[in-house]
Amino acid sequence: MTFDPQAATRTPPKKVIFRIKRYDPEKDKTWWEEYEVETYRGMTVLDALLKIKEEIDHTIVMRYSCRMGVCGSCGMVINGMPRLACQTQISEVASEAKPVIELEPLKNYPVIKDLLTDFTKFFNKHRSVKPYLIRKNKEEVEKGDAEFLMTPEEHKELYEYTLCIACGLCYSACPVAASDERFLGPQALAYVWRYVSDPRDEAWKERLEAVDVEEGPWSCHYAASCSAVCPKMVDPGAAIQRLRSVLIKYKLGLFKKKTAKKAVIPKEQVKPKKPLPPESKLVEGVDIEALDKAPVEIPVEELIS
Amino acid sequence: MAEEKSKVIDNRPGWIASINPWVLRVVNNPERVAFVLHRVTGILMALIIMAHIFVTGTPAHTGWEAWVEEINKAQGFSLVTLYFFFFAGIAWFHGLNGIRLLLVEFFGVCIGKPEKPKPPYIAPSLKACQRKLLYLVFLLWPILWAITGYIVFFK
Repeated sequence: MTFDPQAATRTPPKKVIFRIKRYDPEKDKTWWEEYEVETYRGMTVLDALLKIKEEIDHTIVMRYSCRMGVCGSCGMVINGMPRLACQTQISEVASEAKPVIELEPLKNYPVIKDLLTDFTKFFNKHRSVKPYLIRKNKEEVEKGDAEFLMTPEEHKELYEYTLCIACGLCYSACPVAASDERFLGPQALAYVWRYVSDPRDEAWKERLEAVDVEEGPWSCHYAASCSAVCPKMVDPGAAIQRLRSVLIKYKLGLFKKKTAKKAVIPKEQVKPKKPLPPESKLVEGVDIEALDKAPVEIPVEELIS
Repeated sequence: MAEEKSKVIDNRPGWIASINPWVLRVVNNPERVAFVLHRVTGILMALIIMAHIFVTGTPAHTGWEAWVEEINKAQGFSLVTLYFFFFAGIAWFHGLNGIRLLLVEFFGVCIGKPEKPKPPYIAPSLKACQRKLLYLVFLLWPILWAITGYIVFFK
């Protein structure tokens, strides 16, 4: 998503009208409702929504948590574009000429109430691609004392994909997901590429074979809306194209990933312990090393009495 | 006790998202316009090819010589030349954009290299050479269509 560095310093219109698409599941009714909000410089759409909820209408429902673009909870369609409400300045989307902001729930998700959407299927797709490192030697992972190394160049190749916060904006913008519910979607497929390209992962064959299905990367037609709306610059559109080209090479027998490096014990753990210098023994007769091993007993009852 | 069914509404725009690029107003995304045009021209081409098979199959009953003579007579603004002009328009866009998509989708090239996020936070693939190719498609399409129109109508 393009970042406008001047947006935060611009003063938004003094009063902005919020047109919110509401849905009442009990009455099974959808309607647009308008609220007028007094703004201030630096106010975000989420700030305005919370102001509406606190001062005008307590019944509005939306999801939010961190308020700083980290948790990815407050995704909604703002003036026709999927955005995070906490990252969207009012001055970015409203002007003196048109002081109106339209808010809708994210497209391609079932709407539970007002701006609240159901992410169950989205997270099921995310889970289905096994979004974690898989090693052949399970002990390495379970023991947890070793490190899986990679070079800075290798890290650079996959770093942008690790920034995904699973906010679901890409899935909402995808025109393929709009018509095909089975499509895994940009987020899940970007995760597949993130692990296929990860030099530490050893399950690349299984991952490639798992996504070699109709609802996998073959369904993507590169509208690139996912990359255009991503608030973290993850570029899922490019990830899917890379995944597809690798899948073609793999099917033709032209792709083979490098063997993953062995896990290594961090150097600081194998360093021999240096003996303490004489000046560290401040109190005569006290053995610091023995104290380290045995916990200090505090005579609590004695102190209370 | 009857289990209460939770009421949710499906918020998917459906197939309309494939023919209307403004279902969402995503900024910095001409690829979406190209995606819609590619789909629409693809469907039209499939329909035209079916009509083409039907039309070219007709002389089998009426005689080839008469049919070729009829086609050769088509000059200026007639139904046949308008059909050729229309077909050329959709074929030029589908072909030119198809080359771009072939490079991007099957060879995974022209989509830039992964990079660390930095202002103004534009995804690498949206500023890579596929975008330049897309602008080239939008530039060449009307030019080639106009040249074809000149040949069809005035030559």
